[in-house]
Amino acid sequence: MIQDEVPVSAQTIQWRCIESKIESKRLHYGRFAISPFRKGQANTVGIAIRRSLLGEIEGTAITYAKSKNVIHEYSTIIGIEESINDILINFKEIVLRSDSYETQKAYISITGPKDITAEDILLPPSVQAIDDSQHIATITKDITLDIEIEIQKDRGYRIQDSKESQAGEFFIDAVFMPIRKANYSVHSFGNNKKFQEILFIEIWTDGSLTPKEALYEASRNLIDLFLPFLHTEEEEIISDRDEKSESNGNILLSNSISTDIDRMAKEVAFKHIFIDQLELPARAYNCLKKVDVHTISDLLKYSQDDLRKIKNFGKKSVDQVLEALQERFAINLPRNKFSID
Amino acid sequence: MILKENKKMFVLPEFGRIQFEGFQRFIHQDLVEELTNFPKIEDIDQEVEFRLFGERYRLTEPCIKERDAVYQSFTYSSDLYVPAQLMRRRNGRIQRQTVHFGSIPLMNSQGTFVINGIARVVINQILRSPGIYYDSELDHNGNSIYTGTIISDWGGRFKSEIDGKKRIWVRLSKNRKVSIIILLLAMGLNMNDILKNVRYPNIFLRLFQRQAENIQSYEDAIVELYKNLYSAGGNLVFSDSICKELQTKFFQQKFELGQFGRRNLNKKLNLDVPGNEHLLLPQDLLAAVDYLIGVNYGIGTLDDIDDLKNRRVRSVADLLREQLGLALDRLEILIRQTIHTVARRKRLVTPKGLITSAPLTTIFQDFFGSHSLSQFLDQTNPLAELTHKRRLSSLGPGGLTRRTASFQVRDINPSHYGRICPIETSEGMNAGLIASLAIHAKVNDRGSLLSPFYKISKTLGEEHIVYLSSEEDEYYRIATGNTLSLDREIREERATPARYRQEFLTIAWKQIHFRSIFPFQYFSIGTSLIPFLEHNDANRALMGSNMQRQAVPLSQPEKCIVGTGLESQIALDSGSVVVSNQDGQIAYLDGETISILLQNEKTVDIKSIIYERSNNNTCIHQRPVVSQGERLRKGQLLADGTATVGGELALGRNILVAYMPWEGYNFEDAVLISERLIYEDIYTSFHIERYEINIYTTSQGPEKITKEIPHLDSYVLRHLDNNGLVVPGSWVETGDVLVGKLTPQEAENSLRVPEGKLLQAISGIQLANTRESCLKVPIGGRGRVIDVRWIYDEDTLPNIANMVHVYILQKRKIQVGDKVAGRHGNKGIVSKILPRQDMPYLQDGTPVDMILSPLGVPSRMNVGQIFECLLGLAGDILKKHYRITPFDERYEREASRKLVFSELHEASQEAAIPWLFEPDHPGKSRLIDGRTGDIFEQPVTIGKAYMMKLIHQVDDKIHARSSGPYALVTQQPLRGRSRGGGQRVGEMEVWALEGFGVSYILQEMLTIKSDHIPARSKLLGSIVTGKSIPKPNTVPESFRLLVRELRSLAVNSDHNLIFEKDLRKKVKDV
Repeated sequence: MIQDEVPVSAQTIQWRCIESKIESKRLHYGRFAISPFRKGQANTVGIAIRRSLLGEIEGTAITYAKSKNVIHEYSTIIGIEESINDILINFKEIVLRSDSYETQKAYISITGPKDITAEDILLPPSVQAIDDSQHIATITKDITLDIEIEIQKDRGYRIQDSKESQAGEFFIDAVFMPIRKANYSVHSFGNNKKFQEILFIEIWTDGSLTPKEALYEASRNLIDLFLPFLHTEEEEIISDRDEKSESNGNILLSNSISTDIDRMAKEVAFKHIFIDQLELPARAYNCLKKVDVHTISDLLKYSQDDLRKIKNFGKKSVDQVLEALQERFAINLPRNKFSID
Repeated sequence: MILKENKKMFVLPEFGRIQFEGFQRFIHQDLVEELTNFPKIEDIDQEVEFRLFGERYRLTEPCIKERDAVYQSFTYSSDLYVPAQLMRRRNGRIQRQTVHFGSIPLMNSQGTFVINGIARVVINQILRSPGIYYDSELDHNGNSIYTGTIISDWGGRFKSEIDGKKRIWVRLSKNRKVSIIILLLAMGLNMNDILKNVRYPNIFLRLFQRQAENIQSYEDAIVELYKNLYSAGGNLVFSDSICKELQTKFFQQKFELGQFGRRNLNKKLNLDVPGNEHLLLPQDLLAAVDYLIGVNYGIGTLDDIDDLKNRRVRSVADLLREQLGLALDRLEILIRQTIHTVARRKRLVTPKGLITSAPLTTIFQDFFGSHSLSQFLDQTNPLAELTHKRRLSSLGPGGLTRRTASFQVRDINPSHYGRICPIETSEGMNAGLIASLAIHAKVNDRGSLLSPFYKISKTLGEEHIVYLSSEEDEYYRIATGNTLSLDREIREERATPARYRQEFLTIAWKQIHFRSIFPFQYFSIGTSLIPFLEHNDANRALMGSNMQRQAVPLSQPEKCIVGTGLESQIALDSGSVVVSNQDGQIAYLDGETISILLQNEKTVDIKSIIYERSNNNTCIHQRPVVSQGERLRKGQLLADGTATVGGELALGRNILVAYMPWEGYNFEDAVLISERLIYEDIYTSFHIERYEINIYTTSQGPEKITKEIPHLDSYVLRHLDNNGLVVPGSWVETGDVLVGKLTPQEAENSLRVPEGKLLQAISGIQLANTRESCLKVPIGGRGRVIDVRWIYDEDTLPNIANMVHVYILQKRKIQVGDKVAGRHGNKGIVSKILPRQDMPYLQDGTPVDMILSPLGVPSRMNVGQIFECLLGLAGDILKKHYRITPFDERYEREASRKLVFSELHEASQEAAIPWLFEPDHPGKSRLIDGRTGDIFEQPVTIGKAYMMKLIHQVDDKIHARSSGPYALVTQQPLRGRSRGGGQRVGEMEVWALEGFGVSYILQEMLTIKSDHIPARSKLLGSIVTGKSIPKPNTVPESFRLLVRELRSLAVNSDHNLIFEKDLRKKVKDV
């Protein structure tokens, strides 16, 4: 089946940017069209891309600030208009772009009176402030404000726990989500015979990356998510082939582990399943109970020969037990003790 | 509203006025009067004479600033000094001194008092004004009778009734009555006086004749009255002793009408008794009874006791005056006693020696501390503060009780119009008893509530504002302003809805006397913050106005898009914002100080409030909104306070809501929110908790604050400084020590330990003879320590601290279990928080912030929320803020809907968003599921609604108990989270368990988890050793308690077992 369909989608899917706008330094907009899709595919890709854009894109944010002579964030410094907490909120808002995954350090050292903006942060070369005019604080006296900040790159958001903070150290709740908004729409075209779809994707970013970059990153992240599937499938194919060629040869480690786990789980389960579940006739049931066989795992300790040795337990009963075990749990009892291994 | 151009600008009254006016009256009027009324005091020989010069009293400036009083837990008060004179007749020596009378707590600029560092407010009481009221009742046989009740200002009440047989009785108690004739005679009137002074002498004569055989004279009447009062049987003869006893016990029992009571009585009964006669006279009674007979004949009017004209407001002034009177009475007795002893012993004394400040100070302290009308100020947000000051309570001394108050007194009365808000009252048992003052209402000196109206003058065509009491407006035709005649010319011919004699009529405009001045005139400030109020059911509007008072101030508040225009006035009058009171220029500005350079080259420093705790543990904070060098006008906003933005009240945030079901997560009003509300700190609030610890001096010596606590792990002590106090700025968690304290313990205890004795004997080392009694962060508490403060008691020596306060600030983000609400009574609990990509999104990709249940609207009938959210959406796109006055339906039909749709349409046109207004389903839009990309089946109402986070938060409520304290008597777990209590397994819970047939669980719940002591004590051991849990075979403690209680009523109960086999009986003691 699959092989039949491949030539149909030979027409390669292509994307192009239809519209790109920089509405402000912190609001970029881009619109892309991707086509042609076969019926239904556009929605599959669209929703995945949208979710990936909103949830999987990495961003850069200030996560930590440190300043001497500050007792706690709910106080003010003489000569500064904002309270420390307000300054921290302003830090949170600052849009940055970083190429490094390492924790970066940046500094502010400004003597007032002055309006401190994002421009005044002394950033390491790998980090870049997107909007220099973003306000941080207003110094109204000739005092010096020294702040050390840390910048991290991550995805999602992080609510900081200030548990380990020392005096003058502040963890800032960081939002590493550069995508403001994402949207997609599906439009179909073509004739009755051959329906095709076109997917439009709209992306609004905060300026730290362009919509094009965002789209690229989102699809890369999406592909990364699917990669494991490709791997396991390959491995299984390999193992299948191996089994065929060498019968009971070396099974892949991962497979053996998984079967081990399976077996253990089964054993545990059998301990808790009573033989009542087998719905045996009264004679067989009573006989088993008499020899203290209560659960399936108890029963599994017996071989067919052992069963036959139980008093009043005839061949018919043994057959019934075997049948029930096979039917309900797909287990066979070994003929005799020695054939267990 | 048609305003003439020459008319003065229409302004809203100051909302805190009722408090200020009251206190002003007390200080400037009542205080002088009471002091001048203080009598001259002489001793028996008239040797020494003491007098006060009350009119020359002085109040000192408070010794501490109001803010310091809050910090230091002091009372913000002023000392009262009065000049006094002591004269000795014999040598004519006159001694004059100014004496300290005591301290009176002062009202601050916010209309509150600071008592021991706590903001308190004295609320106004509304009660029946003294006077006479006629009513018709049914007696116990179901016959209709007429009654006349005289209500006193101070003392008992007098109730007379006339029955079907024209007999007139006076009620002595619930089931005892006596003929009016007896009372009248006993009061000293004789039959001639009576017959001469009444309109219906025949009835009196008949009554007299009926009694004639045994009652003829004053003496007979006294005896008869005595018999009836004290149910003394037998042959009682008149004697002076009886007379005297009656005099003291019955007649002299205070029955003070007071000034208002006398006035009301005179007015009703058409008497001309002088106004200063505050007691009830026989002739009053006679006139009252005479009127009662008239009422029986249908002459005269019955009174509606719930009418506001029969109720008066007892303000701060009256309450304080009463207390002052009490204090002065006590002082008078004290002075009299001292003067007597002094005169007898011929000792010298000064005025200062006669007067102590104790009575006044303690009485005022007690009043503010424990009187039921002096309340802990609700400071959740500025609105709560302001409404609390404007509250009217029917409860309290002299008022009603919440259990006995009938439905009638709780109900709305037509006279409430424009005086008391018909919407805002509490829910539950206080419904209708706690009311709120309407916006424009005023209280006059006599305590009646006034409402302003425009007087329509026919000759001049001019309108001016007149304040009317409910007594007055009853007889005028008052246009309610439901419809507006826009054309001035034809107005004269048009009919308009109007109020006349408590009824709604349609009256020609020509006949109208007054008209209302403002659409919100009828409502309280809380209610008037609800936009589209007229589209809401009153019950929900009530909840809306009440819940706004519970909104937590947010860290980043936002103005509402759709409001009513009163937001700024409320923010201003609540005193939370800082306003410049002079023209000038900002000289300097930082987080704490705003310096203003005035025109006279002087600078004024204004200190703003930085992250302080309010009474309700919310955070009070002011942030400047001006910039350095800015020129100021008088009245300009300098700093925004808590929950205000740009000088407007901002209790919540505008968020994008959708009314749709979502996987059942909005069942029963639950609410789904987007994660955006968390990471963008949209509903983040600050809560400052104060923890306090007292330092006592025990019999073993004083307790010690120290860092060295050997009993505890060093980890929990890590935040302590060398003095043993937590360092401000440290982050503390549950269990951490805030204040390290050691309590000395009896030495014997440690000696009992054998090694203690040995150690002491060998090396003389004292074993640790202390017990740790540290202040620890309780369960659930965590946060940043922002302040640590020593508190010194006012009364003890300075520099001996006896209390430490630790302030911990918590930053709380919204979470599952928090309560959120809009302004229309639409409330809900957050049930799930979704990532933004999972939320349904609009056609432009914007995810919704909150999903509300659509089923929450039809049955609750609060359609205002829909109008609000749609208009909010339009406003959000057009960057407009709307201020809507209510009842715009008077301009045309469906005015609100037209406004909303036209704005939405405009927004849709302007921003080129076609789906914003779709004619097929206006106001609704297609939403897309963020999880699947599917379009939802039905179009969904979306919009920007103004939602608030309420003070009811899970963090304060979440509670679990594994073990804990038990009540002493019943041995059942205690109740309540604060005591570490258990969860009650009540009757219905038992049914549920019975229904499931889980008998062992049920038994466990009722015995070992509750009040079965032996089983409880064995339980732990058996868990530890791994044995089976013992089965309780005796009865639990609460049953034993019941048996004991029965025994104390002389009912014994035994437990008998009779065996079927041999009928042997086995008795078991219970």
